Amino acid sequence: MTNNKNIIEMNNVGIRYGQGPEILSDIKLSLPQGSFYFLTGQSGAGKTSLLSLMYLAQKPSRGQISVFDHNLNFTNRDQLASLRRRIGVVFQDFRLLEHLSAYDNVALPLRVGGMDEREIKKRVTELLTWVELDSHMFDKASTLSGGEKQRVAIARAVINRPDLLLADEPTGNVDNIIAGKLMKLFVELNKLGTTVVIATHSDKIINDFKYPRLHLQNRGLHIYYPSDTSMFGGLNV
Amino acid sequence: MSNTSYISRKQELPLKSENTSLFLQIIISIAVFIFAITLSGVLSIDSMISNWNKSILGSITVQIIPVNNTNKEKALAETMAYQEKAVEFLKSVNGVTKVTPLSDEQLDELLSPWLGDDVDISDLPTPRIIDVKISPDANIDFAQLSMDLAQASPQATLDSHKLWLNKLISFADGINLIASTVLLLVAAITSGAIFYTTQMSLGLHHNIIEILHIVGAKDAYIAQQYTKRMGFLGFLGGVIGLFFAVPAIFFIGNLALKIEGGIISDASLGFGDWTIILSLPFFAMFISMLTAYYTVKQTLKKML
Repeated sequence: MTNNKNIIEMNNVGIRYGQGPEILSDIKLSLPQGSFYFLTGQSGAGKTSLLSLMYLAQKPSRGQISVFDHNLNFTNRDQLASLRRRIGVVFQDFRLLEHLSAYDNVALPLRVGGMDEREIKKRVTELLTWVELDSHMFDKASTLSGGEKQRVAIARAVINRPDLLLADEPTGNVDNIIAGKLMKLFVELNKLGTTVVIATHSDKIINDFKYPRLHLQNRGLHIYYPSDTSMFGGLNV
Repeated sequence: MSNTSYISRKQELPLKSENTSLFLQIIISIAVFIFAITLSGVLSIDSMISNWNKSILGSITVQIIPVNNTNKEKALAETMAYQEKAVEFLKSVNGVTKVTPLSDEQLDELLSPWLGDDVDISDLPTPRIIDVKISPDANIDFAQLSMDLAQASPQATLDSHKLWLNKLISFADGINLIASTVLLLVAAITSGAIFYTTQMSLGLHHNIIEILHIVGAKDAYIAQQYTKRMGFLGFLGGVIGLFFAVPAIFFIGNLALKIEGGIISDASLGFGDWTIILSLPFFAMFISMLTAYYTVKQTLKKML
C-alpha cells in the first residue's frame, strides 16, 4: 500500500481561529504516497480544519507542513497553485459554482491548468457519463439535486487524476448504490497511486473498506488500524 | 443543447451580471468626456502657441519714431529720410527676404480702431512702420541687429515681438498646466473608481475565488478575467464619453472662431490632435485593464 515517500508531513501543527483556543494541537502526521485513510471524529473535532490544511486553504497557527516535499513556509503563491492542482477536494457542501453547468464545473481544474478544450471535452464527457450525469451535463449546478451535485463535486475532484484526494463526507447525499460506486472509484484511484483521505461518519463504509483511520479527539490526532482496536495517539503512520 | 455550447466556455466569475458595471461605465463616460474636452483645450493652446511662434518667427517690425519739429512738413520729410535709411540698411542684412514700409493707408487702417475713422493721422506725429520678412533658416542676432539699425538710422527701433509673445506664452502655459492637472485628476478618479469597484467585486465573489484557488488557479488567471471585463467597460465608457465630447469640441471651436482678433482663432486641432482625442477609448481601456490587474493581484496576495 505504501512506499517511503510522504505526500504530506505535519510537525507540531496547531490551528486556532482568531484569539480563540487551539482546535488542533501538536498534530504530527505523515501520509505516505499511495495510502488510503479514513478521517473520523465527532462533529466539531476539527476534521474540516485538518482537511483545509491538507488542501492548502489555510496556514497553521504554528508548526510546519510539507506537501509534495514543499515546505509551505518557503512556498510562493504560484508554487502553491501548482501544488493545489495535484490535489482533488470534495466538500461536504459541494462548493460548486452554481451559475455554471455541471460540465463547466468539472472542467474547472483542467481549464485553470491550461488544458486544450478538445481534450477537456473528451475527459469531462467521459467522467460525467461514468457518474451517470450525462443527461444533466449542461444543466446549471443550481438546478441539480443534492446527490447530483455530490457526483459533480466528486467528478471535479478526480478529473485531474490528482496525487492526493481529500473528501469530506463524499457519500453523505447519495444512495447506497451510488455510494458504493463512488467508493469503488476512490479505491481504483488509490490503486493507481492516488493518496486518499476521506472524512466520514459512516460506520458501514469504514467497516466495508478496511483502511486505517485517522481519528481526531481532544484536539489530537490518533491512528487506528483495521485489525487493531488499540489507539496509537499522535504516532506517525 | 447544442454540442458547441460547452466549447464557448463561460467565465467562472459572473462579472457581467454585476450592478456596478453600469455605475463604472457612467463614471468612465463622464471621465472621458471631461478628458476629451480638456485635452482638446490643451492641444488647441499648443497649436495656438505654435502658430504664434511661426507667424512671428518669420517677421520683425521696425518702428521709425517721428522727428519732433514745429515745422510739420520738415519733420515728416526727416522721418521719411530715416525710414529710407532703415529700409536700405535692412535690405542689406543677411537673411532678410523682404522689407515693406507700411503706406499711409495701412497705418490709417491699423490706428483707426483706437483713434476712430474721422481723425486724419497725417496731422499727428505717428511713427512709421516697416514690416520685415526673414528667412526661416536665418540665424539673426536681434540684439546686434538692433544696435546696427540704430547706427544706420537713429530714429529706428526694432521689435521682434518677443516681449508680448512671451507674456502670452507664459499665460497659455499656465492654462496648459491647469488643464494638465485636470487631466491627471480625471485619470486618477477613473483609476480610483475602477480600484474600488474591483475590490468590491473581489469581496462579492470571495467564495468563487476561493474555489478557483483550491482547484489550482493562479492569481493571474483570476486577474485576467477582471482585466478583460474592466477593459471592455473602459472601452465602452470611452466610446460613449467621446460620442458626446466630439460635438461639444466642435461647438466650443465654433464659439472660439467667432471671437474677433485672430488670437483664439489660431487655436485649431490638427489631424494628429484628433488622432489623440479619438484614441481616448483605447486609453480608457488600457487604464482600466492596468488598474484592475494591479488591484486583483494586490488584493489576492492577502488571501491564501
